[in-house]
Amino acid sequence: MTAVVEAGALSAAAERLRRLLSRTPLESSVEVKDLDLPTLEVGPESWLALAKWLRDEPECRYDLLLDLAGVDNLRRRGRETRFESVAHLLSLTRNEHLRVKVLVPDAEDPVLPSAAGIWPAADWYEREAFDLFGLRFTGHPNLKRILCHDAFVGHPLRKDYAPGQRWMFTDADMEWPEWTKQTDERAGHFETQTISIGPAHPATHGIVHLIARLDGERIVRAETKIGYLHRCFEKMSETHTWNQVIPFTDRLNYISAMINGIAYVRTVESMLGVEIPERGRLVRTILSEFNRIMDHCVDIGANLVDIGALTSFWYYYQPREQIYDLIEACCGARLTVSYVRVGGLAIDVPEDFDARCRRLLETIPPFLDDMERLINNNRIARNRLQGTGVMTREQAIAWGITGPMLRSCGVPYDVRRSRPYDFYDRFDWDVPIATDGDNFSRYLVRMEEMRQSLKIIRQALDILPDKGAVSSDDWHVVLPPKDAVYHDMESLIYHFKLVMEGIRVPAGERYEWVEGANGELGFYAISTGGGGPYRLKVRPPCFPNMAAFEKIILGGTISDAIATLGTLNVIAGELDR
Amino acid sequence: MSGVIDVGARVPRKLTLLQRLYYPEIVRGLRVTIGHLLRNLANGRRLPTIQYPEQRRNYSGRFRGRHILKTREDGTFKCVACYMCQQACPAECITIVAGEHPRVAYEKYPVVFDIDMLRCVFCGFCVDACPKDAIWMTRDHEMAFFSRQDAIFSLDRLREKPEDSAKAGYGYRPYYPGDGTTPPTDAARMPVLPGSGERDRLRETRVPLPGRVAGPGPLNAPSTANRAVNPSRP
Repeated sequence: MTAVVEAGALSAAAERLRRLLSRTPLESSVEVKDLDLPTLEVGPESWLALAKWLRDEPECRYDLLLDLAGVDNLRRRGRETRFESVAHLLSLTRNEHLRVKVLVPDAEDPVLPSAAGIWPAADWYEREAFDLFGLRFTGHPNLKRILCHDAFVGHPLRKDYAPGQRWMFTDADMEWPEWTKQTDERAGHFETQTISIGPAHPATHGIVHLIARLDGERIVRAETKIGYLHRCFEKMSETHTWNQVIPFTDRLNYISAMINGIAYVRTVESMLGVEIPERGRLVRTILSEFNRIMDHCVDIGANLVDIGALTSFWYYYQPREQIYDLIEACCGARLTVSYVRVGGLAIDVPEDFDARCRRLLETIPPFLDDMERLINNNRIARNRLQGTGVMTREQAIAWGITGPMLRSCGVPYDVRRSRPYDFYDRFDWDVPIATDGDNFSRYLVRMEEMRQSLKIIRQALDILPDKGAVSSDDWHVVLPPKDAVYHDMESLIYHFKLVMEGIRVPAGERYEWVEGANGELGFYAISTGGGGPYRLKVRPPCFPNMAAFEKIILGGTISDAIATLGTLNVIAGELDR
Repeated sequence: MSGVIDVGARVPRKLTLLQRLYYPEIVRGLRVTIGHLLRNLANGRRLPTIQYPEQRRNYSGRFRGRHILKTREDGTFKCVACYMCQQACPAECITIVAGEHPRVAYEKYPVVFDIDMLRCVFCGFCVDACPKDAIWMTRDHEMAFFSRQDAIFSLDRLREKPEDSAKAGYGYRPYYPGDGTTPPTDAARMPVLPGSGERDRLRETRVPLPGRVAGPGPLNAPSTANRAVNPSRP
């Protein structure tokens, strides 16, 4: 199991951090712990100094803020303070993850300094923690609600929030950004105006609200409002068992639904230390690569529709349709798959799985070739995509962007390569990068990633055992076979305990991450030993992408912004959760 | 493991004059699209689109559609109202009220068994949870309602009807070995595997293991074999 290997390696990493910290004045105020990741605990007063040190110290260089989540410890034993703000950091140069917990002592009015000045990515994450937990970040540039609407009262992810409450939102409650109310010095000028795109606009693909101030055709200021598709995923998972969360994960990134489920169950499995048979892991790998292809197809296809190329959209939907057929044959649903279970898969793949996959390997490449013939040297596509939506490598890292977006800026960070899970280290494949950081580079990177995914699938099929279990046989985790349940009392008891009480996951916390279709998809789970999660935080890959959107589009035209929105691959289900 | 490839460097940044002239590229593009058109005209079956109400997609035997409640040979529900599916349901769409069955062998039965199809997320967890093989899913997915009340399916609408298997076909069923769709016969019953851990540990500590408990026989037949009759019952 990977967990064992990691534990050894991580101890060294934690020890190294302790040694480095001992040379600084921060030593007395920071506590180094060794959980699944090296973990630092700090009070709010030293948080900023520590953050700055972590980012700038040449031997640390935690330059990418992956995630920042609030935690309410009201019903959790053994924690000193009620509120914590938990940040997950990544050092791209050292390829190391780190967790920093800021323990906020005041339970009535939890205040801590904002890290948005150190990692600009913290901006939206802190707004989310403020919205859901009421953590007040001092010095934050724009601290207001993000997922809940403006008329919402209270902080829903606090453990003492009563979930049944309803808050009416009317037009009058809509809070416009301050700058839209200020008069521009040239307000009378007919070319300067504030416009509102969305929430329900065909180009936003999902419901996203963009408020932009234009000077002529150029966007000079913009702000996005999200949260229109917020369905309380995190709150709901706290009241359900570990397995019951799986159908909810399908509705996060619904374009590549299965990758979410895999990321989630990997988190739970690593907390349990349960072993998945090789065949089960390979099937997961194959299907998640097919999901990646679908995701890229939809993303590029929809993006091209936005800039006026409808034919390509139809062509891209054909491989997607064929992949959906395969997925439906495996699990009985096209979109909301619910196929993975903690400990393996719900059901073995059909007998013709291998043949079906191989047929897809033959039918998909011609479509990709056609698309490249239509788009690569197309002057319109080039004019719309090349040189628009540009971000530099430094910006992308500061904004916390991962996945194809980051790779198109020249950073070869891919979780499948940096920390190979399942069998990715056994396969021969390349990480595609581009250096321009514009929309066209993102298109090129995604096209190549689809080919690399096909390459991975082919190799995975070659080593896929014909027979064998897809799930663990640990009946504390996986439901016993139905035949045994019908006829054997012991199996029935296991079955009953699993269904009625859920899997008993040992108390602790875990951050697990995989390469989602649009970046690093992480799940941060806290268990108190019960049948369900105490707290479950998703690190949605498109959240930082969307946060960066209002900065990327500055100086461009509205039509560039639409082209850029497409290449960000923002999936509202995952963005708003 | 392999390397990193720079795809940006593969495609020249600047278009050639011929490409910038635009018209030759239109012709090249049309070659792709007209090629698709002709191929589709010649062989309509490779089209991924179907003429929906007339043509229907052939879903697999695992499709998770409308639920049915299986019945015994005498027409009573197999369901024993154990509340397992209600508990397993992540959408909380199942409501069960249990009653005492007049026949002692059946013990319990559902007086009320409602599934709110508008709440249901069709995850199949109820099928996985059922210990009596009583709830299956069909391939029927075309459910439209005129009112919310209509969407709550009660016992009479959930009862398996002969046309279910004929028209829509069975969908997601309990997980059986093999292709996952055929129920095992008694002869082909899987050997009962010990759950990892418990039995092994007992074996190591040399605690005598209980033998295989005889099952209550074929599922459809009422059985009184290993059930003590409660004298206080009628």
